[in-house]
Order: sequence, then structure tokens, then C-alpha cells
Amino acid sequence: MTFFLPSDTRSGFSVRLLAQSSLVGLAAIVGLLWVVFTSLAPGFVSSFNLFAISRSLAIDIVIGFSTMVVLATGGMNLAIGSIGVCSVMLSGYLMQVLGLPTPLALAAGLLLGALLGWTNGFAIVRSGVNSFIITLASASLYVGGMLILTEAVIYNEVPPEIAAFGRMRLGFVSPLLLIALAIAASLVVLFRFTALGREILAAGANARAAELSGVPVGRVIVIAHTLSGLLAASAGLMLMTRLGAAMPSVGQDWLLPSFLAPVLGGTLLAGGGVSVIGAVLGALLVATIRSGLLILQVGNFWLQLFLGLILLLAVMLDRYRSVYAELRSQGRGS
Amino acid sequence: MQRLFSQEWSALAAAILVGCVVLALMSPAFLSEFNLYVMLRSFCVVLVVAFAQMLTLAVGQLNLSIGALGGLVAIAVGGMMEKFGFPIALAIAIGLLIGASCGFVNGALTVRTGINGFIITLATASAFAGVNLGITESIPFYNLPAAFVTFGTARFFALPYLLLPPLIVALLLALFLARTVPGRYLLAVGGNPYAAELSGVPRDRIIVLAHTLSGLLAAVGAVLAVAQLGSAQPTIGADWLISSFAAPIIGGAALTGGHISVAATSLAVVLIVLIQNGMVLAQVDPYWVQFLLGALILAAVGLNRLRALGAEGV
Repeated sequence: MTFFLPSDTRSGFSVRLLAQSSLVGLAAIVGLLWVVFTSLAPGFVSSFNLFAISRSLAIDIVIGFSTMVVLATGGMNLAIGSIGVCSVMLSGYLMQVLGLPTPLALAAGLLLGALLGWTNGFAIVRSGVNSFIITLASASLYVGGMLILTEAVIYNEVPPEIAAFGRMRLGFVSPLLLIALAIAASLVVLFRFTALGREILAAGANARAAELSGVPVGRVIVIAHTLSGLLAASAGLMLMTRLGAAMPSVGQDWLLPSFLAPVLGGTLLAGGGVSVIGAVLGALLVATIRSGLLILQVGNFWLQLFLGLILLLAVMLDRYRSVYAELRSQGRGS
Repeated sequence: MQRLFSQEWSALAAAILVGCVVLALMSPAFLSEFNLYVMLRSFCVVLVVAFAQMLTLAVGQLNLSIGALGGLVAIAVGGMMEKFGFPIALAIAIGLLIGASCGFVNGALTVRTGINGFIITLATASAFAGVNLGITESIPFYNLPAAFVTFGTARFFALPYLLLPPLIVALLLALFLARTVPGRYLLAVGGNPYAAELSGVPRDRIIVLAHTLSGLLAAVGAVLAVAQLGSAQPTIGADWLISSFAAPIIGGAALTGGHISVAATSLAVVLIVLIQNGMVLAQVDPYWVQFLLGALILAAVGLNRLRALGAEGV
């Protein structure tokens, strides 16, 4: 696969060092932006705006995680938005049309997400075809299937507790953010302390070496995609509580944010290296910029340009930093 | 005869033939002059956009920004004609130049930074779309020169004039890939970048070239789309992504690069247009098109996979 040449041959140690320095840098940029936006528009830190930021941040974080767990294996998942919307619509249908209890409907949504993710992983491993193509096709399949089955209706008579949960406040923040952080904590545990997490990273870093040392690479990739689907479904359901309805338009604009958060946070595209905290900070950066530009009334129209430029800048900076670090470590070694 | 069937597009041609017969039997409207005209018209943009993606696939790259780039060129051409009163030819020329420059930026960034083309074009796609929305604020340009709009609807019996530019593009592209040095280089780089580099092919320059041409073709697609719609909509290009990948992949382009076919990609576009038209004639939900496109891609990669395994086995 020419477009995923493993260009990162850095050792695990220097990756970690680099990752930490980039986290500090990212946190500094976020802090700086908060100071700038607050001084330009005091409304930025109003409790209303903080609440709004926390809600969109929570969803951005989980969307980012959904891509991150697949990037860890060196693959990608373009079907995140499609999986999210399928879960949302299924939950909406179960609650509104069949009148199922809310927890059951939400669980069914999550299960569907995991199932669709599993299907992706299974197809990728079985066919040996690039994950880009498989998930591009399945994204189209899933959304198409969802639209055919639901005829693009909006389920806006879901139980009121859904919308109530989306409006709920704990101090300045939405409980959605706590859910996102709980997911973050469990991902930290997964990647740092479990065999499965290490196997995922090993499969991403060097599939052949991992296979030789006894890692069931195929199964690990399927698990990562299943997890990705589950996370996409979680993000979709979180968005549903914010919207107070199940809408077929959910997920259409997830592609960019799903890559922004992990890539800004230092997750390696080639696989084998993730940063959960980095992804949280990456999502925070995006949420900050989005909210700041809105408050400064730059308008939604230019937002996309800024997000694109930031992604470009971030990956280029990261590239130059790693080249610099490599040069320096070589200088020290010789 | 044997050689004919071993051609990878023989399956495609057969599928098209069967599709045509089924549609003709199913609905008498299928072979009507007007329906043929409608089909050929929708063929134009899809074909050029598919070529745009095919060129980046040829060198083992991909271009997620095709649609955003097309949208930007579309509103630039429309804006130049409506707001500044530029002559049609000049507006189109500048539009194509914008497209090629954007493609060049994609290529140069990819080569210079060594970052995955996926991320680069994801980012530039967002940037192009942002400029498009920032300029237009989602308001289309409706007042285009009459001559331009007439070109988009004029026809000779079932043949739309709009079909002319894509056919010329297809011919030039086939010649370029088969008969020119850069064209051969392009395939060599996609086939095996290291071998190509060792045999003196300027790999980076060829990748930039592929991206530039991809941008140029996306711009051609955008101009055609404006002519077809009769207005410069900011949403032009928003739905190009899936079909731009579908056609070259169904046509057998290997995603690893180096293996593309103008003829097979064109046939794949015919098939896609046929499916879209069939859905309309059968009065099925338009959502089925999206579903079938996804299924078709999966079927195509599965088939290619089987063929590759079969070739290995022999």
C-alpha cells in the first residue's frame, strides 16, 4: 500500500518523549487561545458558552476516539459518521415507533454500532483490501440502507428524558463531557495496561513482526474496528441527546473532526502510536476555535477554512519536529 | 476471443449490456431520445471527475479534495462571469488555472512534507470548501451568460454538446498515458516507486504532476457541472467523493497504483449512470443509488481480489 508507507522508524522511547513535548505544546496553544478569545470577547467564558463548549467538546472527543482506535492499527475508518447515524436512527425508531424503554433502545443502538464496526473489520481482514476502500464503500452502504429503511424521517417524539439529559448542567459543564472523559479513562487503561491494547499497537506498528511474535493480527484489527463502531455509536447517541431527536443528517460532517482530534493530538497515521490525552486536547483545540470564531462573529462560513489550515499546520509542525528530533538523536549517537 | 474475455473490462461491458436490455424491456422510456440525452448529460461530469481521481490513484495517492476543489472552481467561474462580466473563455481559463494550482498545492505539500496524501487533501478540502462558503455564503450565482447556459442544454438529437469536452479529455488522457514520457512515468511511479526512482524517474515531480492534473480535471468537471445546471451552485462537488472512487475502482484501478485504464473507468461510469437512470425509471427511492454504489465497490474489489488469486494459482 503505497499510501501508508511506514515512515516512522523512531524508537518507542523517543516517540513517547516527542508525544509528551507535543502535548505540552498543544496545551499551551489551547491556553493561549482561551486568553485571546476571552480578552477579545468576555462572553467566551460566560457560563452559557462554557456549557455549549463542553457539549460539543464531549461529542468531538468521542468521534476522535472512534478514528483513533483504528489509526492505532494503521488503518482508517471513513464510515464513522454512517455508523453513528445508523445507531441514532435505530434508537429513535425503537423509542418512538416501538415504544421500547430508553435504556434498551440506547443499548440496541450501541450494539448496532459495534456490529457495523465488526462487519467493517471482518471485511477488511477477510478480503485483505485496504481499510480506506472497504469503509468508503460501507459508509455508502450503511447510510443508503438507513435512508431506504427510514425514508429519512426525523424521530422527534423520543422520550423527553433524552432532551432533558442533553440540557442538564453540572455546574458549567454538561454530563456528556463526563461520559467522554470516562471513555477516555477506559481507553487509557486499555492502551496502557491491557494485553489487548498493546496487541493493537503492535499490530499497527509492524503487522508482520507482531504476527511472528504471536499476536493474532487479524483478530486484533477486527476488535479495533468493532470498538471504533461502538465509539461512533456512542458519539451519535450523545449527539441525539443534544438534538433531542433522531435525525438522518447526523454524522455527515464527522470526517474532518474525527481525524482532527487524534492527529492534532499526536496519534501516528502509520499506526502503532496513540495518545488519548492528546486526542482530548486536540478536540479541545477544535472546540475552542469553533466557539471563539462564532463568538467573534467570524461566522460559520470561514470556520471550515480555519480548521483545514490548522490541520495542515499541525501535521507539518509535527513532521518537522520529528525530523529535527531524529537528526538530533543521530547526532548524539555518533 | 480468449483475449477479449481476459480483458478486465469484459465483465463491465457484459454488465452494461445486460443492464441496457433489462432496462429497455422494463421501461419503454429507456430508449427514448430524451432519456438517452439525459443519461449522456449526467455521464459528462461523473466521467471527468472519475478521471481526476484516477490520476492520483495511478501514482498510489488519493485526492479527497476533488469535490471541494470543484465547488471552489465552480463558484469562481460563476462569480467571474456574473459579478465581473469576464468573457466566458477567460473565466473558464482562469477557473481551470485555479483548479490546476490547487492540485499543485496538494501535490507539493504531499511531496515536500512527506505526510500522507490522505491527511493533506482532507485538510485542503476543508480549506477549499471554507473559501467557497466564505465567499458565497452559500448563495449561488444565477445570472450566467446565455451562450454558456445554452451550451449546457443544446443537443444534436440525443447527443448533448456537453459530451464533447469529456470525450476530448478522455482521448487526450489515453494518449497521454500511453504515448508520452510523463504518462509512462506516472504509471511507473505508481507501479513501484522505488524501482521507478532507481531507474531515473523523477518520482516527486511526477506525483506533483498527477495532483496538478487531478486538480485541472476536477476544474473541468466543475465547469461542466455549472453549464449543466445553468447556475454556479456552491454545493457543486459535495457528492463527488464516492463516485470518483467508485468508477476507477470498478474499472479495476489498483489502489496500490500503477494500474489504471481510461476505457475501463469510462465503462464503469456508464454503469454508474445506468444504475442511476434505472432507479429513476423504476421509480425507486433515490437512496438506493447510494446503497448500490457501495455494494458495487465491494463487489468490484472482491472480484479483483479473486482474479488476482486466480492469476497467482495458475
